[in-house]
Parts: sequence; C-alpha cells; structure tokens
Amino acid sequence: MGRIVLDNVTKSFGETQVIPPLNLTIEDGEFAVFVGPSGCGKSTLLRMIAGLEDLTSGNIAIDDKVVTEVPPSKRGLAMVFQSYALYPHMTVRKNIGFPLRMEKMSQAEIDKRVETAAKSLNLTDYLDRKPGQLSGGQRQRVAIGRAIVRDPSAFLFDEPLSNLDAALRVGMRLEISEMHERMQTTMIYVTHDQVEAMTMADKIVVLQAGVIEQVGTPLDLYNKPQNLFVAGFIGSPRMNFTEGEEARKRGAHTIGIRPEHIDVVASGGVWNGKVGVAEHLGSDTFLHVHDTGLAETITVRAPGEVTMKYGDRISLAPREDLIHRFDAQGLRIG
Amino acid sequence: MSDRRLPRLLQTPAVLLLLVWMLVPLSMTLFFSFIRYVLNNTIRPEWTTPSLSNWRGFGNYEFVLNSKDFVLAIQNSLLIVCSILFLTVIFGVLIAVLINKSFPGQGIVRVLLISPFFVMPAVNAVLWINMILDPVLGLQGIAVAGINGIVDNLQTMPVLGGFFSLWPDFAPISFRATQTSAYAVIMMVTWQWTPFAVLIFMTSLQSEDQQQKEAAILDGAGLWSQFRFLTLPHLGRPIAIVVMIQAIFHLSLYAEIEIVSRGNGNKNLPYLIGEFANNNIGAASATGIFAVILANIVAIFLLRMIGKTLME
Ligand SMILES: Nc1ncnc2c1ncn2[C@@H]1O[C@H](COP(=O)(O)OP(=O)(O)OP(=O)(O)O)[C@@H](O)[C@H]1O
Ligand SMILES: [Mg+2]
Repeated sequence: MGRIVLDNVTKSFGETQVIPPLNLTIEDGEFAVFVGPSGCGKSTLLRMIAGLEDLTSGNIAIDDKVVTEVPPSKRGLAMVFQSYALYPHMTVRKNIGFPLRMEKMSQAEIDKRVETAAKSLNLTDYLDRKPGQLSGGQRQRVAIGRAIVRDPSAFLFDEPLSNLDAALRVGMRLEISEMHERMQTTMIYVTHDQVEAMTMADKIVVLQAGVIEQVGTPLDLYNKPQNLFVAGFIGSPRMNFTEGEEARKRGAHTIGIRPEHIDVVASGGVWNGKVGVAEHLGSDTFLHVHDTGLAETITVRAPGEVTMKYGDRISLAPREDLIHRFDAQGLRIG
Repeated sequence: MSDRRLPRLLQTPAVLLLLVWMLVPLSMTLFFSFIRYVLNNTIRPEWTTPSLSNWRGFGNYEFVLNSKDFVLAIQNSLLIVCSILFLTVIFGVLIAVLINKSFPGQGIVRVLLISPFFVMPAVNAVLWINMILDPVLGLQGIAVAGINGIVDNLQTMPVLGGFFSLWPDFAPISFRATQTSAYAVIMMVTWQWTPFAVLIFMTSLQSEDQQQKEAAILDGAGLWSQFRFLTLPHLGRPIAIVVMIQAIFHLSLYAEIEIVSRGNGNKNLPYLIGEFANNNIGAASATGIFAVILANIVAIFLLRMIGKTLME
C-alpha cells in the first residue's frame, strides 16, 4: 500500500517555474531516492507529495486515489525533516506519541506503540528526555520514531542525515535501509549525496532544474547514464570527459570514462602524461594526470597503494568497451 | 588569589556607589519609620525635625496597620497588578498570533497597535476618564444614550414593542465612583501595556520554527493543537518576561489613580504613601517598608514560578 503517481505536476513560485511538467511513478514498497544539485527542486517535489506545498497544476495519486486536494494529515504519509523538527517542549515519549494523540487514540494504545517504536530504535533509555538533551543521531531517531508510529503508507525523508557527522551518517544509512527491508513500506528519500543514493535506492531519480534527467536502478545509472549530466553526477570520483580528436575517433561528440575503468600500464598506453596530485585512500589511490594531450586533467582510480608521486611519467590504458559516448546534445550513443 | 586583587579594586567604586545608592535611602526610610516625624505640627514642634529623641518604636507600623486604608491599599495593589497582567497576556497573545499572519496593510496595523505604548501615563488617564469612560460626555455616555434611544424607538413598534418595553433603561457607569475606579485604572493601563506584550510576543513568534509547524500539520494537528502544543510553549519565556517586567512597573502605579479618583475608594500602596507623606513622614516611611516587603514577596513568588521557565 503506497504507490505514488505524479501526473504532469508543475510548481511555480510567482513567475518562476521551479518544476516543469513532471511524470513519475513510485511503486509500492519501493525505496526511491531523489538526487540532484542544490536548488534543483527535490525538497519542493517532496513537499508537494506531502501536501505542504500546493500544486500549480497536475495531479498526485496515492494508491490510485487522487489526493491533490486532500490535506497533508489525511494522505497517510509521514515525513522526516532535515532539521528533525522535534517539538522542543515535549519529552521524547510525547514527541513520538504526538501523531497518535492527534488521532485521539487511547493513552494505553499510545504508550504501547511508543514503547515498541522506541525499542526498535534503541531509544528506550531516552524516553523521558527533552530533544535538547539528545545527540544529533538520537534526535534523528526520534524523528524517525515519530514517523513510524503512524504506520504510514509511505515515508518521506528530506536530507535526514545531512546534519550528522560522517561516521554516524553511515550508521544511520544502514539503519534506514534495514528499516526498509523489514517494513517493506514505500520510502522517498531526498539527498544530494550520491553515495547515499547509490547505496540505499531501489530506484534513483536524478533531477536537474526540476526536470527528471533519468530514472533507474543505481547500476543502470552507473552503467548506462542517459546523458552527460547523469554521467557526471553519478560516480565518485567524477567521470572523465573529453571532446575533440579522441571523441571523434570513437564516433562521438564527447566521450566519458570512469576513473576506475582506466588502467595504469608500464608503457604503450593510449594516453601518456605526468602525475599531478596523488590522493592515497589506502584501499585506492586517486591519481590526477596532466599533460596527456587532452584538454582536461584525467582522474584515475588505481587499486591499492601506488608508489607514484608528483611529476612521475605515467601511461594510461582506458578499457575501450567501458567508454561512454555522447552526441552533440549530450545524449548517450549506443 | 593575588591576581584577583586588581579586578576587585577596579570594581570597588561601582560596588560602593551601588551600595550607597540602595542603602542610604533604605536606612533613612527605616530610621524615619521608627520615629515621630511630621512636616507640620504647631503643638509639638519638636516632631518636625528627625531625631532619635522622637523614637516611637513600632508605633508608626501600628498606626498604618490600623488605618482603614491600609488593607484596601494592599488588596487594590494586588487586584490591579494581577488583573492587568492577566488581561495584557491574554490580549497580547491573541493579537500577536493574529497579526503574525501576513495581510495587506500589515505594517500600518503594527505601528498603530504599538502606539498606545508611547502615550504618557497621565495623558492616557485623562483621555480615558474624560473622553471614553465619562458617563455623560465620554464615548460610554454617548453609546449608552444611543442604545437607550434605539430601545425607545423599538418599544413603539407594533408587535415586538411589547417585548422591548420589558427592557430596562441602561444606566451609564461612573468610573470615578468608589466601587468602580479601580476598574477604570485596570482598563486604561491594560490598553497602554497590551502593545508591550504584543511587541514581545510578536518577536518571539517570528522566531518560531516553521518546520515544527509543518511536522505538526503532517501529524494531524489542527490550528488549535498547533497553538496549544507548539506556539503556547514557545511563548512561555516571553510571557514570563512580560509578567515580570509588568509586575514591577504596576506595583508602583500612581498617576492613573490620582487622575481617576484622587484615591477615592481606590488606593494602592504608593498612593497611600503619597497621602501620608503630605504630613506624616513617619507613617509614610512605615508604609514604604510594607511596600518593600510586599514587592519582595511578589518577586520571590514570581522568580519561583518564572525562574524555572527562564532557566530551561
Ligand atoms: N517559497 C519559495 N518561494 C520562492 N522560491 C522558492 C521557494 N521555495 C523554494 N524556492 C526555489 O525553488 C527552487 C527549488 O528549491 P528546493 O528547496 O526544492 O531545492 P532542493 O533541491 O531541495 O535544494 P537543496 O539540496 O539545497 O535542499 C530553488 O531555486 C528555490 O530558490
Ligand atoms: Mg532541499
């Protein structure tokens, strides 16, 4: 229960159109991630689904029922905000129980549900604290708890992890993924972190300036980016692009090759250049290679520890079958 | 701790000044409250100079406690302060919540709302008692006369006239009278100080977290629940501040009481002190000490109640 269909929805703030006509279907139980650069309209789209933002035109349907005119609380969705939006004057227990209290549920039932939610989120020890006395990760969990107790047909997350430090973010990412596996409820998750998108999503929706650039599974997007924007956005470090002679030789306007698809060879590679900065991550080494005859610096991801240093000569062999080709409009060829 | 010596030394003048500032008047009041000291007495001219030889012990206090105005003054002080606090907080919250929404002409409305606060208290009292509350010439008199006129007209109507002739004639209320003058003071001070409350609550409302509101909307909270569970707790601290500041100010109301009824039936402690001070400085000082005690009781009470909110 939780199939969400956006049918030609648009949104304008005054004169400026933030979302041009947009169609999208999110299947029941799917984990959909909206990614895109800052200001591309991810939050706006999510808020439109939640009902916090009116549509300028178009329709939204949940489980085949048009909800465009339905008030937010009646849509059966729960949202987790970036700033957590906990109620500062209530204890954790009251915070989590608030939606149930608004539904006029009996106190006994509320207590039972809050206890269950708190247990599943490791919050039992903190139930009588106020949000101000919790760490960032705990606050995040309370916000999730408040969403869970309502038993919604879909969860909406707006960059829920961006206020957490890196280590905690990885942990929470796993917890949310596990929660999804366990509950099998539809989730829509907004982020501008493509690692979050790749690791969590069943389906990624890449947005740019309110337009859907591509929809697909993480590996679809990685292996077959439909255009230059998606190719550049998905993958870390970023895909290398070059135009001109090298592209023309391969029958394209622009070609792209991911850093991990370039091998470092002793000699006789396609591109020869000088090592610039080498970034050692331990598991991998990112080499930034200059003076290859291409206009751009090329990033190479070499596995393991590489002993190359600044100024060393290097020879590179791209794996020809993994080169992505794009036409003059930036669309994928083949 | 020798490194503390210099800062201490530098603080000394300020501390000394403060001590002198507070202690000298207080000890003089204490001293006067224990002696016979009047401004004018032809029979006992020695009482007109403050001196230890006129020692009266607790005589002044007894005199004040036994004077019929004292209990009235305490009651009135509390009645006036509490009513004004209650009304300004209620009106303040309501108005602040209303004008916090954006609407055309918002700027002008806000300026108009704040303006009563810039009227001098004495002017405020004169305007209210003469132009608004006066039973004949004020708005009240005109309104009551108007209503009576309408009722008179309705009584001549064919069918319903019988019903309206059962209505009594409305009589305007004189707010200078013994029983009502305190209410006049409460009204005019509430009018003047509500803007102060509105101003403080409005600033606080503007810092309210909008995402919390949105979360509450999604959680199914209606307008009333949002107000009750989010806005009101958010306003806890500003309400505490408004109550504290106003309690301090209104315990010392004077001009309004003087203008409305010259203390006729409506005295508070400062007014009583003023009356005694016309001649009997000893009794005035004793009343002053009572006022200090009352203010301290109120302050402790407020701090207990409000301090917790502020410390959170
Ligand atoms: N209330 C508003 N009035 C006018 N313009 C708005 C409003 N809200 C958002 N916008 C504009 O809409 C666009 C999309 O905003 P949105 O918040 O959806 O971006 P986002 O993708 O969530 O970005 P971020 O990753 O930074 O959160 C932005 O250009 C923003 O300036
Ligand atoms: Mg956003």
